[in-house]
Amino acid sequence: MVSYLRLHFTVNGTPQALRIPANTLLLDLLRDRIGLKGAKVGCSRGVCGACTVLVDGQPVAGCSTFAFQAQGAMVETIEGLARDGALHPVQQAFIDHAALQCGYCTAGMILLAKALLAHDPDPDRATIVEWLSSNVCRCTGYQLIVEAVEDAARRMRQAAQDDPGAEA
Amino acid sequence: MNSCSDVELRVVGANLPRKDAIEKVTGQALYSTEVSLPGMLHAKVLRSPRAHARIRSIDVSAAETAPGVHAVLTHADIPKHFMPVYGYFIKDQPLVAVDHLRYVGDIVCAVAAESEAAAVEALARIRVDYEDLPVAASIGAALAPEAAELFPEAPPGIVPAYGDGASAILRPGKNICYQFNYTTGPPSAFERCDHVFEDTFHFSRMHHYHLEPFVTVAEARADRINLWSACQNPFPLRKELARMFKVPENRITVNVPFIGAGFGAKNNCKTEPVAVMLAMMTGRPVRFCLTMEESFLTNTQHAAILKLRTGVMADGRFVARESDIWLDAGAYSDASPLVAEKAGYRIPGPYRWKHIDTRCYCVMTNTSPAGPFRGFGGTQTTWAGESQLDMIARRLGIDPYEMRLKNLLKLGEPFVPGESGIDSDLKEGLDLVAREVGYFDYRKSPPKPKGVKARGVGLSIGFKDGGGVNKPAQARIKVSTNGDIYLHCGTVEIGQGARTALAAFAAEILCAPYERVSLPEINTDYLPFDQGTNASSAIAVMGQAVACAADSVKKQVLEFAASQLECPASELVLDNWTIRQGEKRHPMVPMIMRYYGGTGFEFTGEGYYKAPSDHHAPLEAPCVFWEIGWGGVEVEVDTETGQVKILRLVMSGDTGRSVNPLVCRGQEDGAAVMGIAQTLFERMIYNDAGQLLNNDPLVYRVPLAEDVPASFRSITQEQGHGPGPFGAKGAGEATILPVASAVANAIEDATGARITELPITPERVLEALTRQQAK
Repeated sequence: MVSYLRLHFTVNGTPQALRIPANTLLLDLLRDRIGLKGAKVGCSRGVCGACTVLVDGQPVAGCSTFAFQAQGAMVETIEGLARDGALHPVQQAFIDHAALQCGYCTAGMILLAKALLAHDPDPDRATIVEWLSSNVCRCTGYQLIVEAVEDAARRMRQAAQDDPGAEA
Repeated sequence: MNSCSDVELRVVGANLPRKDAIEKVTGQALYSTEVSLPGMLHAKVLRSPRAHARIRSIDVSAAETAPGVHAVLTHADIPKHFMPVYGYFIKDQPLVAVDHLRYVGDIVCAVAAESEAAAVEALARIRVDYEDLPVAASIGAALAPEAAELFPEAPPGIVPAYGDGASAILRPGKNICYQFNYTTGPPSAFERCDHVFEDTFHFSRMHHYHLEPFVTVAEARADRINLWSACQNPFPLRKELARMFKVPENRITVNVPFIGAGFGAKNNCKTEPVAVMLAMMTGRPVRFCLTMEESFLTNTQHAAILKLRTGVMADGRFVARESDIWLDAGAYSDASPLVAEKAGYRIPGPYRWKHIDTRCYCVMTNTSPAGPFRGFGGTQTTWAGESQLDMIARRLGIDPYEMRLKNLLKLGEPFVPGESGIDSDLKEGLDLVAREVGYFDYRKSPPKPKGVKARGVGLSIGFKDGGGVNKPAQARIKVSTNGDIYLHCGTVEIGQGARTALAAFAAEILCAPYERVSLPEINTDYLPFDQGTNASSAIAVMGQAVACAADSVKKQVLEFAASQLECPASELVLDNWTIRQGEKRHPMVPMIMRYYGGTGFEFTGEGYYKAPSDHHAPLEAPCVFWEIGWGGVEVEVDTETGQVKILRLVMSGDTGRSVNPLVCRGQEDGAAVMGIAQTLFERMIYNDAGQLLNNDPLVYRVPLAEDVPASFRSITQEQGHGPGPFGAKGAGEATILPVASAVANAIEDATGARITELPITPERVLEALTRQQAK
């Protein structure tokens, strides 16, 4: 028999309290129960990273994380990045650098970059490559993604300088 | 052609945001994986654990009574009047197995249940009694005298019409489903050669590794079938399903949401037939979504053996080439006959010959079916042809760059008799990559080996015909009263940026802002017919249909305006939905409403393009454009460990004109990185028993960001000779072609050792070095 548990967490800032089967995966919960389809089903083995979401700011593979592991946590998905109609600087940089093709890895790559830039606002190219190497993009050959992340970092540093109180 | 008469290009050539960018960066882009219908069931299939077996008996009774199960599908459940087999030229792949299983992963039977988990549990209750048959898991094993036939009886198949010099045969021998031949010039040319060299090359296969799985949602309601599917060629799919299920084409609707990449894999039937059959059986919508492990068992690239016999003069001029190419087609023919056609046709490379004689065989093996894959035979032939060119040059004591120059076709020179002219300056591209990779500096002062480290440079020219064969394209453009533009065409957005480029053509020709063009989702009921999104055909083939539709609608608008303004249309210019007449400006909206009334009107233009058929062209129509990829690489080889370090890597394609330069660069970067992986590590590994050993995303290695050499650069040339609108040609396949041979050529330059088998692993390099030292 499947046991149930009560999960309290926030998704993109909204508190959620749900009764779920204990074996529910975080990805399935987000996609099928909460209706956030931006995290994608790729390899289902925690390898490709198409299902990346942020749990307390850290990138995790939603396909290989149980929902209960997010108990009490702040979960961010791609749908939560744009604020008041304004894209996050990483999203805008991905558009400006054509750093996406089929788009299936894009949400994961953007969230990975957001986490990186929160951790290190001024990463060198090697650091960006190291972080991005936890996800797969089969289309772009990565170069335009790396350039987009470099540019997003520049823009976010500039914005922080112009308005030190603003949220990154 | 087709530009605004008195203004510079505004849209074509600009790095405007991709049409799909906002949806994709915000997570709103919907793929077939997201499609969900009320009452939808989930399908799973039982796959053969045996590489080659007969089904003695199958007992599904326990599955039929399992919780949540709505239907169990075996061959016996298919109505007798259906034709439950599919394939391109040869209809040999069954919807579910009849009684013969031909590879590990072949579909035995299928279940539709309330959930995927319930379907998987039901599958575990099915009992199958298998009788093993001898396994042929490689080209060599399948052609061996003792090999068992995969198809003891001939499946139905056709050979299309071919033009001068080309021909094909169905089942020319055991376990060969198709043979393509091409010959031109007198065989006696070999007699005049100073040297004839024979070399054999081995090409390993990759999986497409599209991140979005194969997935279909199908419903069979009343007398209709509706599908949402990750499919690159929805119209041919509709035709195939109509034939299989005996349903008129106009009662099948194929919808294609965004596709999470395909690289060729998502052509033709994959998950669709099982989903449709189960939807018919249950009366409920059925979703059939594969896991990535199942994708490995569904479609792959072609492994190949290529034997080249090449006759040359002592000064390095090519004279004659005879080649035999064996493609590993896997267990079902899929697109193998077409790939054979292309591999057989492309093996001469971009060079001048007096005689060509090629045979290309599709060999059936007990492995995953091989199908279309970026490069489509050209990857295999470039590996062999460009490797052998360097080998011959070194044997003759000629510089490989000089030898290429002696033989390259000139701009405009036909590839072979009856063909279109080469539409790139091949020397210009070669000089570019040679310069960028430091080739000429190396030749002036070759570096001295440092200890066990040796350095070398290599070049290669990848070559393929682009735009498909004899491919028609149709497009429709509607412009609303307010000047909003609808572009209707069947080109599928699979990541390549086709919608962005085609919208740019429409906006440019209609002198309208790019933002005003929108493209509806693919739906086979409403859109004009299209043969499929493949062969880099969107720009050069569909692009011409779009330009034609835009010209047509523009002409109608100008003629309408001329009738309203009572002047000749030639005095008028369309500019952002305003008519300019000298200094005067007449907005379109009031003019339309004055004539058509307040509810307005839509102007509609149709466009069509097809390369004219020509029996003198070997493939029955001349090639639309030539897709060329130039590569240059500098390597450092550790002669003690066999490790190859790429010091410089330059890959270049010629887009004719880049409609959107960043999107073009993304295509060339991506293709090149796929080539780097194929060259150095990525491959599917089968054992002799036909088991795929790395059938798991954890162990099947694809390139990550860290695998791309830091020095890698792709350079997009815009030589301006393309047949598409504004001089553009197709892109996206060129730079996968030259990587492997350029690297092998650089290794030989560094060490004298020659690698003829992919991937170029340290073990193979060490073996080659040992052979070299033994000489």
